[in-house]
Amino acid sequence: MTAALGHVSIILALLLALWGIIAPILGSRMRREGFFVSARVAILGQFLLVTLASSSLIYALVSTDFSIRYVVFNTTRSTPIYYRVTGLWGALEGSLLLWEWILIIFSGLVAWTYKNRHQELMPWVLMILSTVSAFFLAVLALVSNPFEGVFPIPADGRGLNALLEDANMITHPPLLYTGFVGLTVPYAFAMAALIKGKLDDGWIVTTRRWTIIAWFFLTMGNLVGAWWSYHVLGWGGYWAWDPVENAAFMPWLPATAFLHSIQVQERRHMLKVWNLSLIIIAFSLTIFGTFLTRSGILSSIHAFSNGPVGSVFLAFLAFVLLGSFGLLAYRADHLKGQSELDSVVSRESAFLLNNVVLVSALFTIFLGTIFPLIAEAITGAKVSVGAPYFNSVTVPLFLLLVFLMGVGPMIAWRKASWDNLKRNFLWPALASLVIALALFIWRVRDFFPLLGFTLSVFVTATILFDTALAVRARHRLAGEGVLAALRTLARRNQRRYGGLVVHLGIVLIVLGIGGSMSYSIERQATLSVGESLSVGHYRIRFEGLRGTQQPTHYRVEGAFRIFNNGDESGIFFPALKFFPNQQSPVGRAVFRSTYADDLYLILSGFSELGQNQATLKVLIRPLVTWIWLGGAIIALGTMVAIWPAKNSRQNAESSEQANYRLPTES
Amino acid sequence: MHRTRRFLIGGVIILAALAYLIYGGMRQAIIYFVTPSELKSQERPSKDKFLRMGGMVVPGSLQKDLKNLTYRFQLTDGIETVPVYFHGVPPDLFSEGKGAVVVGRIGADGLFIATTIMAKHAEEYSPPHQGKTPYQKSFIPGQEEKRP
Repeated sequence: MTAALGHVSIILALLLALWGIIAPILGSRMRREGFFVSARVAILGQFLLVTLASSSLIYALVSTDFSIRYVVFNTTRSTPIYYRVTGLWGALEGSLLLWEWILIIFSGLVAWTYKNRHQELMPWVLMILSTVSAFFLAVLALVSNPFEGVFPIPADGRGLNALLEDANMITHPPLLYTGFVGLTVPYAFAMAALIKGKLDDGWIVTTRRWTIIAWFFLTMGNLVGAWWSYHVLGWGGYWAWDPVENAAFMPWLPATAFLHSIQVQERRHMLKVWNLSLIIIAFSLTIFGTFLTRSGILSSIHAFSNGPVGSVFLAFLAFVLLGSFGLLAYRADHLKGQSELDSVVSRESAFLLNNVVLVSALFTIFLGTIFPLIAEAITGAKVSVGAPYFNSVTVPLFLLLVFLMGVGPMIAWRKASWDNLKRNFLWPALASLVIALALFIWRVRDFFPLLGFTLSVFVTATILFDTALAVRARHRLAGEGVLAALRTLARRNQRRYGGLVVHLGIVLIVLGIGGSMSYSIERQATLSVGESLSVGHYRIRFEGLRGTQQPTHYRVEGAFRIFNNGDESGIFFPALKFFPNQQSPVGRAVFRSTYADDLYLILSGFSELGQNQATLKVLIRPLVTWIWLGGAIIALGTMVAIWPAKNSRQNAESSEQANYRLPTES
Repeated sequence: MHRTRRFLIGGVIILAALAYLIYGGMRQAIIYFVTPSELKSQERPSKDKFLRMGGMVVPGSLQKDLKNLTYRFQLTDGIETVPVYFHGVPPDLFSEGKGAVVVGRIGADGLFIATTIMAKHAEEYSPPHQGKTPYQKSFIPGQEEKRP
């Protein structure tokens, strides 16, 4: 019953989506307004039907309706209710449904928000949104149906992967999908502008906030994934350059480039083709990511389905790329920039370089990810590209990006005068050189970490220095105190100050990655009861093993007493969990986090060693905490940037543009 | 024209730098997959190159020293065998007669010094579900290639 309801909803939604594609074309041929209205109704109808389908699947999961195959594979009768709900995105079919659901929520918001605005563009925006929606609905209806039945009906389900029973499962996939799907909105506006030939900067101004929101979710999705990997998966790292991780990270790069280069287009009416290309690439990468992870063409270690879904996504990807770039070529005449680069020492040029670096990083990561396929196709050799490739290639690029993060927001548009440079960068540069020297004398002697830390200081100094100057100006001008001045500044120029706060967050992440990449210590040893292992400033004494039967698994934990510089700081219990239906145990690492470093304990074995010996792996990873703090600061900065202004929206859009000026220029 | 030429030169410099980065990175990070026979048939196996070798652990060949966490065993593909040395904690599924993939380099004496062992799951193993599971990898404890 539930299954039928869900499946029929999807088919009806698909029909509406197809109508949503045809209606704008008919409307513009016959010049009848009614068709355009029906395109919007089609979006709202899809929204209701897909919500119904998703609710059906959630209901089936919660009520353990084992007549549905998907439910069997993702729940058991003993699964707690919240993990039954997260079963919605526990596997392929459900996660596609979630994707479609988020997409149609975004589409509905767009249709509703711009009900009376952008009359020319909206029918085509809605057509593009319906096209993407139609693709996902067709996949859900025809290729991977989440409501497929199973017979005979089993007594109990197979259950979710034990690793997925984690609180992060609730947040990580939806965040990431929201980020992916959010990019569809600026993409749809870009395509509508191309179709209509209405290629002023209107589509960019309109979609700016949507892009920031998508970017934010993409950032958070990746960070929460890293957090999950670090805290739960128990291998001691947060990023492995795994194809799946790369697939999630790659769209972030052109999205970030886009957020910066649209400012050049708004301000200087340049880079039009470039911006359109970036958003096409960003959107295509979200489809490519799904293709990569669902097709099973990469690395068999990932137990991905090898069904037809991969080829369907590949076909859609080809359609998107050909269609979008074809349209771009068709409209090439309309896309001449209205000005040119005046000087290499200017903000335009800093932003342009930032874009080149981001796209280069994208290219190298893309190449590394698909290289095994290319190599096998050409030479037949089976190769894999390890993390050292990605690290050695991206570290210099990202450090250059950090440097540009210090320069870009402060340097003048058009042509920076010597005065402008001296005023904005002299003190920050001196401050970072002093700190670099201090770090070198202290003990940071390696090139990349030293450069990374120095550049982080440089960026922080430019931001603090610039803000301090602006605060002082407010103080002189209006007699405001520091806090009041900061509030006025942030309110008057939300995007700029929000962006600067985001940059500070990125700096913290750079510190965290730099510290943990360069100065981690790793030791493993087999200890008998009473023996100790010294790692860095920690000493770890093994106190004994204990086994307990838990509701779903058998748990073996080791007790380890920690001494930090000789002082006792508690007992830690890393554990191994043995699930009856899984071959190998799931590790449960424990850690002690401080701002300086994380001590990370992994129980790697004991069984063959008798009852009083345990094999322990110890990691000390400096500064990792700062990565998560950086994520929080980025969230804060995004809020500052997109917080609705008090005056009416119309005003906000025009004033945002007018406000986009440097305090130093005024 | 002057401007175009400058952009061209800038572009070429950037591309060259990028190509250099990629080439350097690939050279050190590409890991070839070989079988024991392929390894033996190579005239002069490159000593500095990281390799990934797959085969079966020869029954009766495994010598382990649990106190020092060292393992010695033979890996075979049915034709050739290669001796392997490993220091660390192998995955739980690692045992004699089972498949394993070792990552490491070949020493001068023909001993394969592994830095990572990945055990192969048994044939009947089916993942609890298919689909969004980027984390299957951690079902293979002892796999440490992820740490840069």
